[in-house]
Amino acid sequence: MHLTHLNTRGEANMVDVGDKQETRREAVASGRIVMQPETLKLLSEGGLPKGDVLATARIAGIQAAKRTHELIPLCHALALSKVSVEFDIDLAESCVHVTSLCRLNGRTGVEMEALTAVSVACLTLYDMCKAVDKNMCIEAIQLDSKQGGQRGDYQRINAQAPIVTGEGAAGEVSVGERCTSPCVRVKFLAELRERLGESDAVVGLDDLASRDIRGLKAALAQRDARFSVLTDQRTLCAINQVMANDDALVTDDDEVAFFPPVTGG
Amino acid sequence: MDINVAVQAAPFSMNYGYDETLAGRSDIGAVVSFTGLVRDFNETPDVTGLTLEHYPGMTERTLKEIGEQAWQRWSLQAVRIIHRVGYLAPGDPIVRVLVASAHRREAFEACDFIMDFLKTQAPFWKKEHSNQGEYWVKERASDQQDAGRWG
Repeated sequence: MHLTHLNTRGEANMVDVGDKQETRREAVASGRIVMQPETLKLLSEGGLPKGDVLATARIAGIQAAKRTHELIPLCHALALSKVSVEFDIDLAESCVHVTSLCRLNGRTGVEMEALTAVSVACLTLYDMCKAVDKNMCIEAIQLDSKQGGQRGDYQRINAQAPIVTGEGAAGEVSVGERCTSPCVRVKFLAELRERLGESDAVVGLDDLASRDIRGLKAALAQRDARFSVLTDQRTLCAINQVMANDDALVTDDDEVAFFPPVTGG
Repeated sequence: MDINVAVQAAPFSMNYGYDETLAGRSDIGAVVSFTGLVRDFNETPDVTGLTLEHYPGMTERTLKEIGEQAWQRWSLQAVRIIHRVGYLAPGDPIVRVLVASAHRREAFEACDFIMDFLKTQAPFWKKEHSNQGEYWVKERASDQQDAGRWG
């Protein structure tokens, strides 16, 4: 494995692609910009002073992809056959997901173009919204996939860090089960685990009368009367490791933990 | 924010964080630390040991957040929080909080604050082993009252 942009003397160097076969190349990159919920609302309703934010950011991303070689020193100028920039407004995470696809028939990959499109689209979103929100954060700009080229295809595997909980002996750790259909993974900790005689449960989202903690408790109690202890006032709850109350919403693949009052220190 | 938190099964030293925090610094005017130890009496008179369970991930995040709250409240220069999990014997250090500041009052108060919130918010659970068997330790109303002092 070596860095192709360094020559034998370790100097930066543009790769000669003249002898490479032309192949169909495609790359998808993504990133996100996290903002205040109020900012996201203004953005989606078109209430921001600079006007249509998403349309502007889309054009900015496409333009940037075409000019990547001007920004990144050792990139070749490419005749892109397609550049797309898509936005997905995520109210739950209070962010805009930005995805770019770049394609061409050529001798070099287009991942830098896709990454540049995402970066500049995010920067443009920031610029368009900064009058009302300076806390925005651009995050997780990454290559999702690429096809073509001599090194073959690449697909990012979304290996989420396994969320783990104490199980059995304290300090030991178990990896939670993964859902196949939409569901939440439930953990019972400490005294509650021993009282219930169970450490884990999986509950399908479709089994919930309401998709919140109250609905989850009801579904569990319906499954087995033992779980009615969950409605005890002393029982605490966390969704994805953040404290939550009965009204908190649950979504697919959430980890919900129930536990007694804490006694550390 | 110079905040470090650690949760570990291994023992830590009684002066954990001290040398590392002070190394090469002369702007620190006060260091206050608290070390909590396992008592041999609690809910029963003859505790032989205890097992601490926690919620990995949430524990570290909660400790960090408590440190950050203290950082917002007082003018601090360093915060160190370490907590053990697993089996502990009487006399073992279980938790240690170290706070550095330019002045003593801020360091005293911040250390007190961190311990109050650690006891009421961080997801740790103690199971005590005694000659009469083992049992989960009950939460104390006084801990909640202590945490309530900070408004």
